[in-house]
Amino acid sequence: MMKTIKLLALFGFALFLASCNNDDDGLAEFTITSINPTSGTVGTEVIITGADFPMDASAIDISFGGVSATITSTSATQIVTSVPSGATSGEVEIVANGFTRSATNDFTVLSERVSATVSNLHAPATGGFGADTTGPFTKFDFETGMKTDSDTEWDIAFRTTQIIVNGGTSLGTDSEPERNGNAAAVIIDGLFDEVAVAPAVSEFAQDSAEGWAITASSDQGWYNYNFMTNVVSPLPGKVLVFRTRDGKYAKVEILSYYKDAPVQPDGFVDEARYYTFKYVYNPNDGETSLQ
Amino acid sequence: MRPPLFIFFSLLWFVCHSQIVEAQKDSAKVEDLDEVIVTATRTERQLSSLPLPVTLVGKEQLQQTGVIRLNEILSEQTGIIMVPDFTVGGQEGVQIQGISSDYVLVLIDGVPVVGRSSGNLDLSRLAVGNIKQIEVVKGPSSSLFGSEALGGVINIITEKPSSDSISGNASHRAESFNGQNTTVSLGQQLNRVGYSFFADRLSTDGFDLSPVLEGQTNAPFSSYTLHGRVFFDASEKLSFFGSARYFQRDFDVDPNTSAEEEGNLHIRADHDPSDKVTFQYELYYTNYVTDELSVDPIDDTVLFQNDFDQRLLRPEVRFSYQLSRKGTLTSGVGVNFEKLSRTLFADDVSFDSQYAFTQYDYQPTKKLNVIVGARFDNHSEYNSQFSPKLSVRYQVTDELALKGSVGSGFKAPDFRQLYLDFTNALGGGYSVFGKEVEVVGIQRLADAGNILTDSNGDLALQVPPEDLGEPLSAESSVGYNLGLSCTAGGFKGSVNAFRNDFKDLIDTQVIATKSNGANVFGYINRARVYFQGVELDMSYRLLENLRVSAGYQLLYAYDKDIEDQVEAGAFARDPVTNESIRISSSEYFGLENRSRHTINGKLFLEAPKWQANANLRVIYRSKYGLTDTNGNGFLDDYDTSFADGFAIANFSAAKTLFKNYQLQIGANNLFNFKGTNPISSTLNDGTFNRTLLDPGRRLFTRLTIQF
Repeated sequence: MMKTIKLLALFGFALFLASCNNDDDGLAEFTITSINPTSGTVGTEVIITGADFPMDASAIDISFGGVSATITSTSATQIVTSVPSGATSGEVEIVANGFTRSATNDFTVLSERVSATVSNLHAPATGGFGADTTGPFTKFDFETGMKTDSDTEWDIAFRTTQIIVNGGTSLGTDSEPERNGNAAAVIIDGLFDEVAVAPAVSEFAQDSAEGWAITASSDQGWYNYNFMTNVVSPLPGKVLVFRTRDGKYAKVEILSYYKDAPVQPDGFVDEARYYTFKYVYNPNDGETSLQ
Repeated sequence: MRPPLFIFFSLLWFVCHSQIVEAQKDSAKVEDLDEVIVTATRTERQLSSLPLPVTLVGKEQLQQTGVIRLNEILSEQTGIIMVPDFTVGGQEGVQIQGISSDYVLVLIDGVPVVGRSSGNLDLSRLAVGNIKQIEVVKGPSSSLFGSEALGGVINIITEKPSSDSISGNASHRAESFNGQNTTVSLGQQLNRVGYSFFADRLSTDGFDLSPVLEGQTNAPFSSYTLHGRVFFDASEKLSFFGSARYFQRDFDVDPNTSAEEEGNLHIRADHDPSDKVTFQYELYYTNYVTDELSVDPIDDTVLFQNDFDQRLLRPEVRFSYQLSRKGTLTSGVGVNFEKLSRTLFADDVSFDSQYAFTQYDYQPTKKLNVIVGARFDNHSEYNSQFSPKLSVRYQVTDELALKGSVGSGFKAPDFRQLYLDFTNALGGGYSVFGKEVEVVGIQRLADAGNILTDSNGDLALQVPPEDLGEPLSAESSVGYNLGLSCTAGGFKGSVNAFRNDFKDLIDTQVIATKSNGANVFGYINRARVYFQGVELDMSYRLLENLRVSAGYQLLYAYDKDIEDQVEAGAFARDPVTNESIRISSSEYFGLENRSRHTINGKLFLEAPKWQANANLRVIYRSKYGLTDTNGNGFLDDYDTSFADGFAIANFSAAKTLFKNYQLQIGANNLFNFKGTNPISSTLNDGTFNRTLLDPGRRLFTRLTIQF
């Protein structure tokens, strides 16, 4: 008796499975309801939500701007994929069961954030050490990650311990370059890695006739000057966040003011006015993520 | 983590108790108790009966150790160390209970020594050849001595002639680095007139702590001290004392010159109209002058000139009245007239202050002594000060005594903090203004267009405009000392817990920014620091002719504001990657140049049979940091300016020959410790520029002729 019931139950279960299968056997039309996120760099995980997706990943073809993406997992209502290398901004398209559907929102493929260290950026001056600091600033462009001589294509510039931004107006010191961009700066207390996003626009300051966005004096801006050791040390726990001339964001931690970034600089021997700093630059317009 | 206090008290109790038992067993003689000191109360008091922590260095110790300058002998006492300031070859300053030289008052026969460089008084100016004893009262004593007596008072008591025939000694001492010291000391006490004369010449070739770099860190010098005194007893009830002292030192670093001169004139009349009443009328004048000139070796242009001329005139009247057998009242009034001219000041400056103090020394029972005192200082340039003090001593048993005191100390803003007018041409063009000249100074810079202005054309000050020129307050402290002392048989010991809370320490702050980006600094009452710890001192006569002693100080010295800052979250820099890191409270090391542990051990041996003596003294100080190196403004475990702990041993031995001659030999820094200053670095050409902490072993020999 028991045996008969077990068999019956097994048969019923098999029948149920078979009937399910039968439903999908037909070339069902799927729908896409959302895509999240709608922007990201190559490799960013993207979740596409909808209905009636095929259960078999091999039966689905997803492309970002025409470049095919790999599927991580799939279910009837959700497909998890990632932005493929070479993808361009545009439609996200799914082809399955003979149907082609596009996501309601376009996907924006963001450029990779640049994480780099600049070593020995020389920021000399002709004056200084008591006299007024004079001579040209050493300009730096985040887009190229290089110093530049351009009058316009620069974001920040250095001259001894002075740091200016290409935004606002000149303070009027000797050889100070004209500001023709919209750069700005803010100093945040914290560790470099902790600064995940640039702060609100209102937090930023630009250079002006009353003073620079980054005050160029000991303990007031980015550095401390110890007159006993004659050493300029970058203040620990200060992250300089910049808006570039064209509205992009970068964060900077200055590591050293001395040539070859000695761990224990000798203020009387080591060559000063050589910046070593690490930065993360987000090359996407207005994108505040700095992680 | 900090060891509880009772450990130290129990230790002393335990040792003391065993000594009491021992003493009862063999009924050994109790040590002499006739040491008398005057600094603690401004009256003669037996050292052992005082309710305060006092260190006494007697003539015997001065002679046996063969020291010639005050700094050498002080550094061997418990809780007192000499610390070099940060600069290589820079001055040494004394530190008492962790409190730096700026806050220690130094007196000769009760009147102050002036002439400080950046707050530091160079004790190597003071020869010890004619000294009877050195008294050091620890903890604040502003209730008696006014300004500067926060960390302690060092009083040098000169010797009085006692013999009615001319007697004295002459000596010559030769030391490594061509140190030559010649002294002559003589005196006579006739019926009613006494006099004494002391002359000391010291010269040395100096030494070099930084051999790789050109030039010598410690320049050669020659110095002279002349000190003459007269004593006249006009009657049983009236006596006069007069003292004139002159010191001169020339440093010679071709082509630069540097000289200093100091003169002191001290006159006092003691009038005892009755057995119970004493009046003292005192007039003191001192003048300290330095001329420092540094010239370019190539073209002889003057690079640096610093002339400094300080004068102090002080009349003081003291009155002491024995109210009953149980109490003595001591009071005094006086005026300080001070004047200073200095190259770095805009004008000559002078100020004066009036003061009055009173003290009641009360002994209600044999076992209890209470001293209560207070002083009021009225000053022309800053707020007046009231400084009270209370000390209590209780004799628990014949051997054990408990003592405690609480008192306040203050230090007037110094001339520099009031009148400095300085722009550094070499170090970035910053300016520093003293409080009294900052308004004028800022205006001058503004008129020259050197100060940033805001959009309204107003000066962009970093402080509220109404704060400019607001008077500074005196720096002040409250000090607590609680101790237990034991005297049993050949054993003497004491343990003392201390805490000194300083507030309103004068610090620099940025008051404006120049158009070249450099700062303009002013002074502000801001910092709060504390010094806390325990001192343990034990001395034991091991054999009839062998005395051993040991001392230990445990010290915690922190800035309270930095403690708060670190608590709230502070940063340092990883010494490997140069990247910022967060630090925890336990990684804040404390104040610069303070060692957690200082230890001294001494062995004094006498061989009367051979008319000889020998001694060995060892001092140790544990790890200390010199300066912040990672920009956060305080010493933390990630800084690279720490010097490792080190010990220095000093040895000397003497033998008397032919009755009147004594030959002494010795070695300071016997084991030739040199150390490495943590700021030493590798030069661009790859050579390691090792800077030493100590020049190494210094051998000496001295011949003294008594007459």
